[in-house]
Amino acid sequence: MLVATDIHRHFEGMHAVDGVSIEVAPGKITGLIGPNGAGKSTFMAVIAGTLPTSSGTIVFDGKDITRLPAYRRARLGLVRTFQLPSEFARLTVLENLLVAAQHNRGDSLFGALMGKRYWIEDERKLVQQARALLKRFGMSAKESDYAGTMSGGQKRLIEIMRALMLQPRLLLLDEPMSGVHPKIVQEIQYYLQDLRHEGLTILMVEHELHMVERLCDTVVVMAQGKVIGSGTMSSLRKQQEIVDAYLVG
Amino acid sequence: MNSYYAINLLIYAGVDIIACLALNLQFGVAGIVNFSFIVFQAVGAYTAAVLSMPPDTAPDYSFQIYVGGLQLPFPIPWIGGAIAGGLLAVPVGFVVLRKLRSDYQAIALLVLSVIANTVITNARPFLNGAAGLALVPAPLADLFDPATYGYFYVGLTAICTALVALVAFRIVNSPYGRTLRAMREHEVAATAIGKNPVALKMTIFIVGGVIAGLSGGILTGYITFWAPSVWLYPETIILFAAVIVGGRGNNLGAVLGALLVPVGFEEVTRFIPSSIGPPGLIPALQWVAIGLLIIGFLWFRPEGVRPEPRRVFEGAPD
Amino acid sequence: MSLFVAAFGFGLVSMSVIAIAAVGFTMQFGITNMINLAYGEVMISSAYVAYYLNKAGISIWIGMVVGALFGAAFSFLLNRIVYAPFQRKGTSYLGMVIVSLAISLMMANLLLPIVGYYSVSYQEGTGGLIRLGAIILTTNQILIIGIAVVVMLLIHGLLKYTRLGKAMRATSANPTLARNCGIPTQRVVDAVWLITGALCGLAGVVAALNSDSFAIANGAAFLITILAAAVLGGAGQPYGAMIGAVLIGLITELSAAAWSPEYKEVVAFGVLVLVMVLRPQGLLAKRGAMAAAG
Repeated sequence: MLVATDIHRHFEGMHAVDGVSIEVAPGKITGLIGPNGAGKSTFMAVIAGTLPTSSGTIVFDGKDITRLPAYRRARLGLVRTFQLPSEFARLTVLENLLVAAQHNRGDSLFGALMGKRYWIEDERKLVQQARALLKRFGMSAKESDYAGTMSGGQKRLIEIMRALMLQPRLLLLDEPMSGVHPKIVQEIQYYLQDLRHEGLTILMVEHELHMVERLCDTVVVMAQGKVIGSGTMSSLRKQQEIVDAYLVG
Repeated sequence: MNSYYAINLLIYAGVDIIACLALNLQFGVAGIVNFSFIVFQAVGAYTAAVLSMPPDTAPDYSFQIYVGGLQLPFPIPWIGGAIAGGLLAVPVGFVVLRKLRSDYQAIALLVLSVIANTVITNARPFLNGAAGLALVPAPLADLFDPATYGYFYVGLTAICTALVALVAFRIVNSPYGRTLRAMREHEVAATAIGKNPVALKMTIFIVGGVIAGLSGGILTGYITFWAPSVWLYPETIILFAAVIVGGRGNNLGAVLGALLVPVGFEEVTRFIPSSIGPPGLIPALQWVAIGLLIIGFLWFRPEGVRPEPRRVFEGAPD
Repeated sequence: MSLFVAAFGFGLVSMSVIAIAAVGFTMQFGITNMINLAYGEVMISSAYVAYYLNKAGISIWIGMVVGALFGAAFSFLLNRIVYAPFQRKGTSYLGMVIVSLAISLMMANLLLPIVGYYSVSYQEGTGGLIRLGAIILTTNQILIIGIAVVVMLLIHGLLKYTRLGKAMRATSANPTLARNCGIPTQRVVDAVWLITGALCGLAGVVAALNSDSFAIANGAAFLITILAAAVLGGAGQPYGAMIGAVLIGLITELSAAAWSPEYKEVVAFGVLVLVMVLRPQGLLAKRGAMAAAG
């Protein structure tokens, strides 16, 4: 699904990501763990195209996307979320979802000028689709509220739903549980498992090891910009140097 | 109130409404702080002027020097003005909107406004420098009795205002408008859902440029004059004050702001006798009041008199 | 040829004036995150303070000190009364730019009825001419260059060797981290407004002294040149602003000699546009300081 080879990302003379190669298998949840400053978030940003690659290649679905800008990658189905809340605050919850849809005849200057009749059909379908997602994530009642007024956990859900509106093939989640109330952490975990069963591929950065253990099929451990190990969580626990580097300390 | 005064007021109101609707699209909806808005109006005005004026060798016109002088019939000069505004938006947008952080964009545009005025003032052979262009032909003036021409011009302005309002409302209420608002709220997140912010900004910058250019054409056809002194950068600040007061992101707010600030404010202060205080005191205090208006609203009511509406969709739960 | 050598001489003076102003401006931005568009108006106000003292018979060199003090006090109050409350309220960078532009407009127009439209100039002997080959400068101009050199050395010393300077640099790099490390950022910010305000006021008087005459309208022109120097060097970088000032001073004076002095600001603007297209982060700044977020 995704093959990243020898990714480097230099920044002000620092090697934030220093020769990382990973492969993400389709239909699985791959976890990316490591201590603070290991370069996990930077790596995610490089994969999503938010930050440019210094060197290395990224192949998505057999297509070299290394030089594609972030928005083009998103259109191909490689969609990321952010570590910090990044909702469109003064759009309603429903609008946050609608805006992410890819195919809407009214989503261009030309379409807009043609008037409502030109795009209302597309819009209706998307509203239905978005409401179905809201229902599934238990947020139907909030659809007309401004996203900026939601709680931290609800913002996470909005972001995940927004990403799903693009019908992604690979979802990149950057610490989806951070700053979220424990009750919603449970919910998010459940939703992610559900999505995986539907065949969605996920690559996620996560700190909470229990969560990683429960959710992820494969885990990649990063430290100081490098991959220091990968495999299932239980196999990693047996490797002394990884335990020393991260799992214990 | 005599009819001349009413006509004057209506035409200015139309031009200001058009300008505020355009600025609202750029600033209120898309979040682009276009501090050189007035330059786009000026480009439209100059273009409309030199397209409609005879060559500068013509007997009555030889006291000024300018390029063009094509004597084209109405409505070509206005269309030309609108196109010129849009064309100017391309290189300016290319330099300013691609790489710079939004506050630098604002400053680059402000500096552009000051510099453009300096250049036009000093480069006399181009558009007659500081003295500006006079005797700009009024569109279709020869078809009308001078007594009724004013009403005709009000009609023309009204048609243009309605047209621009239609465009503005369609954009703001469309999925495209929603995408612009999303970009305004969080540009990086908009990129992550497949939106190309540079393309989005460029399109709305050009749309705004076209409308601003048209407003310049309308204005110069009415006052039959255009010079650097009427498009100094503070003129843009008045329009910003209008959009902020009216309500950023709300078309009706932009219209209301246009009526309250540039139209209402200027009209009210006209009645203050200018003999009070040293010369220039009243206009100077007007500017101070505009500054206070902006700061006051940003502090006490940043969303304006008519805030951007929250959109509730058909069939939403209560 | 000798025309250009002479222009080089004027360039030295120009860059001195710009350096004082641009270092103050860029430090305001770098440390407090505030692009203060009223900077040019504060400069002009300070120049007028010195003018009125000068008119009352007080030497312009004393007026310069008073102008600097005025700039410091005014900038400090401007931040305390207007900018800081808006920043605390969570106003965006963009909102702050609009606020400072409104302030600039208000200042220019409050000043106008007081000082009038007409150009004024200081009553101060130029102090005789000094020749260095084809370069001819007045004693005052030599003094201006001297003042600039001293000020730059003081700023260097401040940033490099004092606790306050280190705190300033830390706050500039990361305000949250600086606060967590126990640096009282409020006091640092106050100090920054006082120091940069003094630079601003000093620059205003020096700039007025260097030109034959000055008027209200000069505020905007000052601002453009300063912006060009600050952006060229890398916004927020004091040393960058010094380099930017040297380049902008030279380029504008040489172009004035080759072309026309009316276009000095236009040339500065041309440099600004080139930098924005080719290297938006400026000559010295770290990448990302000025480029679009993300």
